[in-house]
Amino acid sequence: MAVSPFNLADGQRAERKLLITVAEWTEGSTQVRELLGRRTEDSSIDYNPDIETTTDILGNNYTDMNRTQPQQDFDPYTILGGSKLGAKLNDIRRRNALSELNQFTVYIITAFVGTSGSYEAEKHVDCTITYNSIGGDSTVNMPISVYFSNKITLGTVDKLADDFTFTEAS
Amino acid sequence: MTVDKNSAVIEYFLNCPVILENPLYFNFINAEDNTNQIVTQTTERYAERKYVDGSVLKTYTFTLIIHKSVADIPIVKVSGYPNENMLDISDVQAIIDWISTQDDAHTYPDFGTDCIIESMSTTTDTPSFDGIDDEPSPALAVYSITVEIKYLDISKQIWR
Repeated sequence: MAVSPFNLADGQRAERKLLITVAEWTEGSTQVRELLGRRTEDSSIDYNPDIETTTDILGNNYTDMNRTQPQQDFDPYTILGGSKLGAKLNDIRRRNALSELNQFTVYIITAFVGTSGSYEAEKHVDCTITYNSIGGDSTVNMPISVYFSNKITLGTVDKLADDFTFTEAS
Repeated sequence: MTVDKNSAVIEYFLNCPVILENPLYFNFINAEDNTNQIVTQTTERYAERKYVDGSVLKTYTFTLIIHKSVADIPIVKVSGYPNENMLDISDVQAIIDWISTQDDAHTYPDFGTDCIIESMSTTTDTPSFDGIDDEPSPALAVYSITVEIKYLDISKQIWR
């Protein structure tokens, strides 16, 4: 598979909004999606790499990355009217139905790669989204963490909206 | 949809009974008793909060200046003889209370579909007394109220 160039001008920095995380789950027979990061000022995917480095008798280093455990925190994750995921997680929290937290599909869409109508994306199935606390000062905050499964399907999405279509790469 | 926020604020504040009953000026005043003036303020961009989805929390700030004629009469402790200056500041306080009531009811100016107003509040609980303007006759007491409207600008949000 060829490496796709960025759709940015030379030297242009990618705006943060072009790195998109979307959660997907089913309610009954309905597929529901929601963009993550509303009212979050700073959030990064941390790959938590397991690194192993050995040094031979000549002093040369050999470094292996054995695995990654990608995780993305959203703090604050403000309770907002109209938030479908917020309502879903709050319902799970109330029932302490912890096993329902690992049934999410999460997309990472890199809108700085590709063209309008075909942005590169990766789809992780069987991801876990946890709520970490709930409370705050003037508004209710329920910080969440997304644990990516690394069960990845590469592909593209046709638009930047909840009703996008994911097309698996050939 | 782009909306002129100054026009929206003026249209909105003409619903306030205390303002509706008296002349309202914008960035200019022909100071007389009971005249009101809206003065726009700048809000520094560093105060904006940018979110990862491209939306930005901004603040629209303005000051409402209210002129009231002053009475050179001391306070007397006689029922039925209220002090005019104290009555005047009650009028000004009523504007602050009206703003608070509108905020509680989430009744805000119309900033258009690209803006979601989060809150509207005065920066102080009571009016600021800024001094006496003694050029007009009678002299005028100058009161001011600074109002902040916090709104989410979603015009550059990437996910629609």
